[in-house]
Amino acid sequence: MYEAFVAFCKWLESTPWGAHVRTTDWAYPSIQLIHFTGLSLWLGTNVGVDLRLLGVGKQRQTAAELSKTLFVWNWIGFCVVVLGGFLLFSATATTYVTNPAFRMKLGVLIPVALFWHVIVQQKTPVWGHAQDALPAGKLAGLIELLLWISVVTAAVLIPNY
Amino acid sequence: MWEALEHVHWVVVLGTTGWMYEIVSVTHYFSTFFFIGSIVLVDLRILGVAGRNQVVTQLADQLLPWAWVAFVFSMVSGFLEFATDAGDYMFVNPFRFKMLMILLAVIFTLIVQWNVPKWTRLPAIPAMAKLLAGISILLWLGSILAGTELPALTGLG
Repeated sequence: MYEAFVAFCKWLESTPWGAHVRTTDWAYPSIQLIHFTGLSLWLGTNVGVDLRLLGVGKQRQTAAELSKTLFVWNWIGFCVVVLGGFLLFSATATTYVTNPAFRMKLGVLIPVALFWHVIVQQKTPVWGHAQDALPAGKLAGLIELLLWISVVTAAVLIPNY
Repeated sequence: MWEALEHVHWVVVLGTTGWMYEIVSVTHYFSTFFFIGSIVLVDLRILGVAGRNQVVTQLADQLLPWAWVAFVFSMVSGFLEFATDAGDYMFVNPFRFKMLMILLAVIFTLIVQWNVPKWTRLPAIPAMAKLLAGISILLWLGSILAGTELPALTGLG
């Protein structure tokens, strides 16, 4: 199973796009631009709802209203993140899969954070219906915030290994 | 002067202590993504492609105060990273370009923010508003690109 995955990574590196991102001077930073633009949309739409659940900041609307308004661009952002991330991964896939920080990020933290995000998004119409969110909503928002901070931390640690 | 900043005691400690520099990096990435995303969402609302179930002021009043707090976090953490290599950063063009893009992006965002109440009262959002919001998005994307080009071109960061 793992060997098949490593073979897949080798193939990714040999694809035209993988080789292109790796060997062209300007390609890598522009693919990072895609990844970071997606992350801005993703975190801009996630963290806002989490903070609103927590009651931090202006209260111009409930968390439920904000979550509904940001929903479409939340998932557009996610698609952009995945596209950019996949291309960055393709460039040096075999190096990434052996990196402990990358494994932690993609294998553990992102699945957990993503799973949690979907639960929070599903439950926010109830938890965040009133001006002051329910205690469960506040706790869930705080946990989501910490999960995404942990994902960014794992990403920052990748070059250390 | 910039070289001297690099040699200030706490800057040396920050630059040579892995976990301290990493906390600053995480703060910089996280706050930057959050504040740019929030500002761009308001711009996208002005362009009429996001959050059309809310008037512009309602979304802007909710998102922009967070964005400016996160912006301060981003600037402070960015300055700390800059300080550890100030003498080098200061004299490379990609860094100067990044600062210029951020300055212009902030100016356009402020113009947008100041005009949002006026635009919201009009029957339709004027073309000028959409133009300014579009420029704001492009400048923030330009700032991100400058940020990714900086290490690629200079090896700094």
